[in-house]
Amino acid sequence: MKRGGLQNYIIRRLIYAFLIAFGVVTITFILLRIGPSSPADKYLANISARTQNPARVIEAVEARYGLDKPVIQQYFDYLVNLARGDWGWSFSTSLPVIELIRRHWIYSFQLILLSMLFASSLGILIGIYSAVKQYTRTDYIATFFSFIGISIPNFWLGIMLILVFSVQLGWFKTYYDTGLPMFSLANLKALILPVITLGTGMMAGYTRYARSSTLDNLRKDFVKTARAKGLPERVVIGKHVFRNAILPIITIIMFDLAGVVFGGAYLTEIIFGIPGLGRVSFNAIFANDYPVVITITLIGAMVVLLTNLTTDIVYTWLDPRIRYD
Amino acid sequence: MNNAILQINELKTYFFTRLGVVKAVDGVSFDLRKGECLCLVGESGCGKTATALSILRLVDSPPGRIMGGAVMYHGEDLLQSTGARLRQIRGNRIAMIFQDPQSSLNPVFTVGDQIMEPIRLHLKLGQRPARERALSLMAQVGIPQAKERMKYYPHQFSGGMKQRAMIAAALSCDPEILIADEPTTALDTTIKAQILDIFRDLKQQKDMSILFITHDLGTVAGIADRIIVMYGGRIAEAGSVLDIFDRPKHPYTWGLLNCLPTISERREKMTPIPGVIPSLIDPPQGCIFYPRCQWHMPVCQEKRPEEFVISGEHIVACYLHK
Amino acid sequence: MAIRRISDIFGGRRHLLFSGLLLVLLFVFLLDLLVIDHIFGPFVYFYLFFTLLIIFYGIYPLYVNRRLTRYYWERTKRHRLAVIGLSFIIFLVAVAILGPFLTQDPTEVDFPNKNLPPVGFSAEQAIYDRNTGNFITTETPGTWHHPLGTDDKGRDMLAMLVSGTRISLQVGLMATLIAIFIGLIMGVVSAYLGGWADNALMRFTDIMMTFPFFLLLVFIVFIFGPSLWFIILAIGLTGWTGTARLVRSEALSLRTRDFIMASKSLGASDRRIVFRHLIPNVLSSVIVIATLSIPGVILAEAALSFIGLGDPTVTSWGLVLHAGQRSLDTAWWIAVEPGIMLFLTVLAFNFLGDGIRDAFDPRSQV
Repeated sequence: MKRGGLQNYIIRRLIYAFLIAFGVVTITFILLRIGPSSPADKYLANISARTQNPARVIEAVEARYGLDKPVIQQYFDYLVNLARGDWGWSFSTSLPVIELIRRHWIYSFQLILLSMLFASSLGILIGIYSAVKQYTRTDYIATFFSFIGISIPNFWLGIMLILVFSVQLGWFKTYYDTGLPMFSLANLKALILPVITLGTGMMAGYTRYARSSTLDNLRKDFVKTARAKGLPERVVIGKHVFRNAILPIITIIMFDLAGVVFGGAYLTEIIFGIPGLGRVSFNAIFANDYPVVITITLIGAMVVLLTNLTTDIVYTWLDPRIRYD
Repeated sequence: MNNAILQINELKTYFFTRLGVVKAVDGVSFDLRKGECLCLVGESGCGKTATALSILRLVDSPPGRIMGGAVMYHGEDLLQSTGARLRQIRGNRIAMIFQDPQSSLNPVFTVGDQIMEPIRLHLKLGQRPARERALSLMAQVGIPQAKERMKYYPHQFSGGMKQRAMIAAALSCDPEILIADEPTTALDTTIKAQILDIFRDLKQQKDMSILFITHDLGTVAGIADRIIVMYGGRIAEAGSVLDIFDRPKHPYTWGLLNCLPTISERREKMTPIPGVIPSLIDPPQGCIFYPRCQWHMPVCQEKRPEEFVISGEHIVACYLHK
Repeated sequence: MAIRRISDIFGGRRHLLFSGLLLVLLFVFLLDLLVIDHIFGPFVYFYLFFTLLIIFYGIYPLYVNRRLTRYYWERTKRHRLAVIGLSFIIFLVAVAILGPFLTQDPTEVDFPNKNLPPVGFSAEQAIYDRNTGNFITTETPGTWHHPLGTDDKGRDMLAMLVSGTRISLQVGLMATLIAIFIGLIMGVVSAYLGGWADNALMRFTDIMMTFPFFLLLVFIVFIFGPSLWFIILAIGLTGWTGTARLVRSEALSLRTRDFIMASKSLGASDRRIVFRHLIPNVLSSVIVIATLSIPGVILAEAALSFIGLGDPTVTSWGLVLHAGQRSLDTAWWIAVEPGIMLFLTVLAFNFLGDGIRDAFDPRSQV
């Protein structure tokens, strides 16, 4: 509760995050090593059409990636290179991986950010409203639609949106136009269908969580106290219930990043042809461009790690009951 | 007796549950007078809390609903007034304190913020003056180092301190009436005595009317002017402290008094009331107490006893005193 | 009387009998794999294993505790949506088992009959006219020969959907079973051993949870190649983290509960406490989490197939959807139909899971 306690807590969380990052990198290394094909094979598969002497290529690639060294040595090289930001060279695009990431991350970022804003704001609002109006028709309708929203596969929803709004009605392009400037209405319009595709499932989930969390809190005594003070219902719900109901939902939203959002964004980018990291990874897989695939997987894990860390720290401020030991 | 500032007439509050209709308050009438402490006493489930909540229309709906009656406050029926008018009275003219200070304070806001809430709302004070007022209130209810503790969150307070904070918030707008729903039940005995002292001071110094609800007649003895004993959603017996303690008339009151430990008598005499509290979903046709009553007569099974006046303000709902 | 005697034998030596049968199964499997050379596929053995598991640890305990079974069924039944979900799942299982015998070969290509709409619909089609060398547009109605239409290679949609049902259920059940099994062991071991081992296992769980699920799946399939078996294994090996955490926290809270304390003080062995008390008591939460994680698993496989990372040799819903996206403007039904199946299946499992959760939750009054 004292300043020092908070500082220690943050330092401990940072060290812990660092250890987890180390574990994540180690696991990818182990997976790569026990996989049936080596990077050299992948590289070979990529350029086999162009080469006459596969043995020489394998030798060259093995030397380039240090595959002729002992496994322990390889592991340390792998760690050091990742830490130094030397993430390798993309075979298929002839660019350093880091450059490829730099060109494309913004497309994933805008999609995920907009979808999460859309899903959390609308989902939480509907959930709270539905809880306040429990057992009314509005509540039943909201619950029913949240069930449907949770169950609808997002990639299929994306295709159906394209079928109806792009193919049949012609309101939108079937493909995302990369020529649009980032901060323009046209870009926002182009992102409508992708954001609905990615956001609907999340929104439905948040509606359910917000509803049950609000119901839990509506029954608490402090709500009666707030009403007994003469506070208008707007303040009772919007201040006293909201601040308590929102706490578990924040954890869930951050947790979703690992479970739902990245997977959903990956598929959404593929369906709509948005050149984000998911699309880049997808292309890299079919080009056997393994440094790109590894890097994007690791970036995903690191983003999750950082969000978890941020959530933990923000939580100490949101929930005064948190103890730092 | 026209110094009554709150008149409750034939109040009926029912709860509509899956198992049936619970008649938690079934025709209760009483007055609260200026500057007195009136105690509502009864076992849990007798309808005392529902009565208190109904006065400010705080009963959760669904499942609860106030089915009838009137709550007259300065000639105005609170059960009929608009929501906006009611909110002007809540926390301002009539304040309420709940049983469990642990759950009555919102865990994510500071105690100071929660005490200042009604001040800013009703007295329309700014941040600074509201703080000043909250500080003096906290000192008044015996919270030391108020300036420091304003910034504390509820979990940093002990149970007794939380209840003091709740009282401070309730007193913040100098209410005419304070409704306290079992304010000492969740507290240790020593803390309980300190909190009761605060109530006694309030009554004497501020001439405040207090409606004090408890299941423990022992708590009541020190502060009550009058006592109403409730059973099964109705009034069993009502009268002054002396009427109830020295001349109790209802067999249920006898039972309650028998549960009290006394210094002079030996422990064997402390006897619980036999039987269990009846379900209010399907209450017996006659007197609700007759299944547990050693003195019941044939008439008790047939018809509910009305309230018989014993003397002055001492009334009892029992055929023994017809 | 006879029944009681059977159940006595069955009950007393249940674990022993089960282990024995499992060994026999493993022996036959290895024999088939190494000596006789693949008479049955690995799926047959998995089904046998699954059936044994269900009889010994599902049907038998349910039969012995008939009163409890009836109680839970009554509670689940009050959830109308859960019953609808369960009926649909039973229907799907029937389709998965019997369907392939009643429908055409889902892989049979028939170009002259490509892009046929479902019965009751008609679609415009450009057909190459051999005589004139031009494309002519004709209105083609659906036929009863292909009640749900055909895809862009003339394959029967109905047959493909039936095949997809089988694949989806296989993946959903097997991968969930693997994940739950690993999660259960991790959780119980972690909670029971405590201290250092608990710390190590939970940190490993944290590391696994840091990977975005789908990205890790794609990564594994990228490295190890897309066979259906491997995808099932990969989902199972990555999807256990939630169960492990849940089981651990439940087991921890159980460990301090009076009845376990009591049996410990009576001198019960650790093994007995784990098998007689811990596992049966966390099982109800495990059943709930299993039911609710099946849809996620089915969706993960469908998504992999949909982006072309699934097993290309089996006709799954995701693969059909993949084909459907290419022909959205000419043949909408190819994308619509498998999606509806996927959606309904996921919905059914979600309904059922919700119902079971409420039934097992003593606090809810349904």
